[in-house]
Amino acid sequence: MENINFGIDLGTTNSGIGKFQAGKVNIYKNPVGFRDTLPSVIAYRNARILVGDKARELTAVQPENVFSSFKRKMGSEHTFHVPATQENKTAIDFSALILKELINFVGDEKPTSAVITIPASFDTIQSNATKSAGYSAGLQEVLLLQEPIAACLAYANTQNISIDESKNWLVYDFGGGTFDVALVSINNRELKVIDHEGNNFLGGLDIDNLILEHLFCPILEKELGTENLWKQMVSAEKSAYSKLFFELLYRAEEAKKELSIKESVFVELELDLASKFIEFEITRQQFNELIHPKVDETVKLTKRLLEKNSISNKQVERIILVGGTTYIPYVKEYLHQEFESTVDSSIDPTTAIIVGASYYAGTKNKQNLSTEKAEIKEDLPTKLQDVKLVYEVNSQDNDELLTGFVPNEFSGYYRVTRTDGGFDTGLISFHSKFNEFLKLVPKTSNFFNVKIFDKHQILVFEKENLSINHGIYNISGQPLPNDICLEVDDTLGTTYLERVFRKNDILPLSRKLYKTISKTILKDSGEKLIINIVEGKAETSPASNLCIGYLEINSEDLSANLLKGTDIEIDFDISESRDLTVNIYIGAINLEISQVFNASAKQVSIAKVRLELEKSLTNIDHEIEEFSNNNQEEIADRLNDVRIEIIELLKALIDIEDDLVTDKIYNIDERKRKAFQVYDDLVRRKNVIAEIEEYQAYKMEIKEELLLKPNPKIEHVFNNIIKNEAQFLNSNQTSLIKSKTKELQKISQEIYFQNDESYVSLFYQYSYKDLDEYSNESIAKKHISNGERAIKDAKYTELKAIISALYHLLKVKPKDYFEDKNGTLGLK
Amino acid sequence: MKDIITQIFEIENKIKPEDFATFKRNFQRIYHELEQEGFIVVNPKDQPYDERDASIEANILNENGSNLKITKVLKPTIYKNEGGNRILIQKAVVIVE
Repeated sequence: MENINFGIDLGTTNSGIGKFQAGKVNIYKNPVGFRDTLPSVIAYRNARILVGDKARELTAVQPENVFSSFKRKMGSEHTFHVPATQENKTAIDFSALILKELINFVGDEKPTSAVITIPASFDTIQSNATKSAGYSAGLQEVLLLQEPIAACLAYANTQNISIDESKNWLVYDFGGGTFDVALVSINNRELKVIDHEGNNFLGGLDIDNLILEHLFCPILEKELGTENLWKQMVSAEKSAYSKLFFELLYRAEEAKKELSIKESVFVELELDLASKFIEFEITRQQFNELIHPKVDETVKLTKRLLEKNSISNKQVERIILVGGTTYIPYVKEYLHQEFESTVDSSIDPTTAIIVGASYYAGTKNKQNLSTEKAEIKEDLPTKLQDVKLVYEVNSQDNDELLTGFVPNEFSGYYRVTRTDGGFDTGLISFHSKFNEFLKLVPKTSNFFNVKIFDKHQILVFEKENLSINHGIYNISGQPLPNDICLEVDDTLGTTYLERVFRKNDILPLSRKLYKTISKTILKDSGEKLIINIVEGKAETSPASNLCIGYLEINSEDLSANLLKGTDIEIDFDISESRDLTVNIYIGAINLEISQVFNASAKQVSIAKVRLELEKSLTNIDHEIEEFSNNNQEEIADRLNDVRIEIIELLKALIDIEDDLVTDKIYNIDERKRKAFQVYDDLVRRKNVIAEIEEYQAYKMEIKEELLLKPNPKIEHVFNNIIKNEAQFLNSNQTSLIKSKTKELQKISQEIYFQNDESYVSLFYQYSYKDLDEYSNESIAKKHISNGERAIKDAKYTELKAIISALYHLLKVKPKDYFEDKNGTLGLK
Repeated sequence: MKDIITQIFEIENKIKPEDFATFKRNFQRIYHELEQEGFIVVNPKDQPYDERDASIEANILNENGSNLKITKVLKPTIYKNEGGNRILIQKAVVIVE
């Protein structure tokens, strides 16, 4: 038979829900704001019903429409008048709203039965009222459990405490707004609350106020030159300091949390009124002295509870802590000092009740309570079929209108939430049609869940992941016909295209890129930094694309040397009329250049075209040879045609060297692009596949090595390299894949040299060199003979030292293959 | 990480408006790098108060409750992108009046 599994803490200040699953309790987070708990507060505002955090924050603005601590009125005839809706509500109605909200935390498998906790002080009427709230929230079965019992269960289960004899435990529950203590007797058969004590108006908030009043105010009074600051802040009459109160309260809460971990904290406050920042220190000692009276009050209540029941301190085996205020170390210390019992704070005190309730639910079978169910529950509502939702998929506004139509004179409620947890309309009543402006997070996709409830607030329609893109498209603008790319250096001495804007992006567009300088450019050295912006396809070779912006920064124009590795910021803006504006900023040498490239004026550099043509010749010769060797004569022939065209273009370039008048260079550039496009089509795909294969081969090799000889450090580096694998393997950019392969090769070498024997072959590489390559031949000779002896005796540490000595003797040091090559453009 | 972001935000707010130009690029760069790591930081200052905005925790001063606006931000809103999903990891703490 199925178990209930769901446990709910329906608290005075905060509530929460959990589920027992596979031996553990999972606490559900609020999908709005992602917290474990939900403030037990209801607010009515602008025809909305708000539950939780947003409701609580309205307390100051519309106190008459905000309802909290209604649990204290559970089971009474007290009704709450809601001015906003002109309705009268009971504590049961509000509790049902809280429960419905908690049930919403649970994903697809909504609970039909649940265990709900109640205070030890609840009588039969109050308990039944809690059950009623559960039924009107849609639950078909409700089991009640006293909060102290739930806390004990949570601790006993998570710590696997075995109970052989009868013991007394104290459950000390010091929450945000209330304090409760219960004496529980526990044995191997049952847990029972013997008696309890409490104060409904003593909690963590009182401590925050104390910090503010007694630690902050005296310092601030001096700074601000005022008296009675506390009174001025909290008085009903508005003063200049009313605003300060909230900021100080926030700082006080932060200080309290920090003091639970640290011995002292620095509090920093911005005083708008005095236009300055002030800083002061609070020690834990000061804090403990301050809160002592409050903690002592709880201890007195606890002692009274024990006295009433004629139980001595020694008879209390364990005090278990519940509620957020018990995070404060002094609470634990003082309890330990006063009662000499084990003070148990081993599990999260804010969720202990939920955990306990869920454990209990995990042991209880679901019952067939058809009679009870029939009284309260109506027939299950039918799901709505023809709901029509109308909205724009793409928007550049901060809000986007969603209209919902429900046929057949439907009356009920709707609620829209954003899946990132940052937006929630609350429940809003409507008839047939609703309009809601949805708030969008800028420049990204926004996903919303739309829910419609019937008049009993039972879910009858749900649409998940309704998507609205902000700022990505603008239907009124022109789309880009091609990618716009920046040519950048890779680490291998070649260049590739980095996409700045994507084909079909809508104009106008702007983007900032952060790059680094890939070669040192000394002032007046004649070197230059090249910014080349092209239009075409990002995954092709740079030379096959149309240059739309070309800028050279010459070494003569630099105010200082531009060093490799320096940061460079490049801003790109394309207007609706396709003008490209590039702003370049190099902070290190304080260089700022802004250039507008007009779409009608082509930018071609003879030097750059020549360089591209010359570089490609070597590659094309190599490719022709490879295709011929593989009997792919047809491709080899076509490549040969491209080769001839390149040679002709180089000749043509010589002819126009001094030609500043005609537009021959544009013709050459056009022919060059065509030639490179053909070359790309014939060769690029093959090369990309070859690169991917090489990458995969290294990856497999390293994986196997790591399996045989695990090394967490290398594994970490390896995982970092392959992290975005899908992205770079699908980029069609040989440069990108090649640089990743190079990183893998570096790891592979590192693994290889983990083995001492690897140094033997390295040593022989040095010993086979001509002696005249060393700066001192006789010393080198001596090292080599020592090295041979070290190999014979398997003395590898010595061998490593000899290799290092030989390296230092070399006149010309061998180049490190893994060192990044200087770029040709100067931009990486 | 959210604590570090909050500290960066605090430093940014401590700089006097007349001195801010010197630091502007640095902050832009920091927020850009954070975005690359999946963190989106939103400063809701001067936005009108919206009771549906669950990304802020408001302390409301003006008790007559009309034309409410965010006048001070003590902590910014932080979202984190994880595996294509964006989730709220820190609510902004703001003063509304």
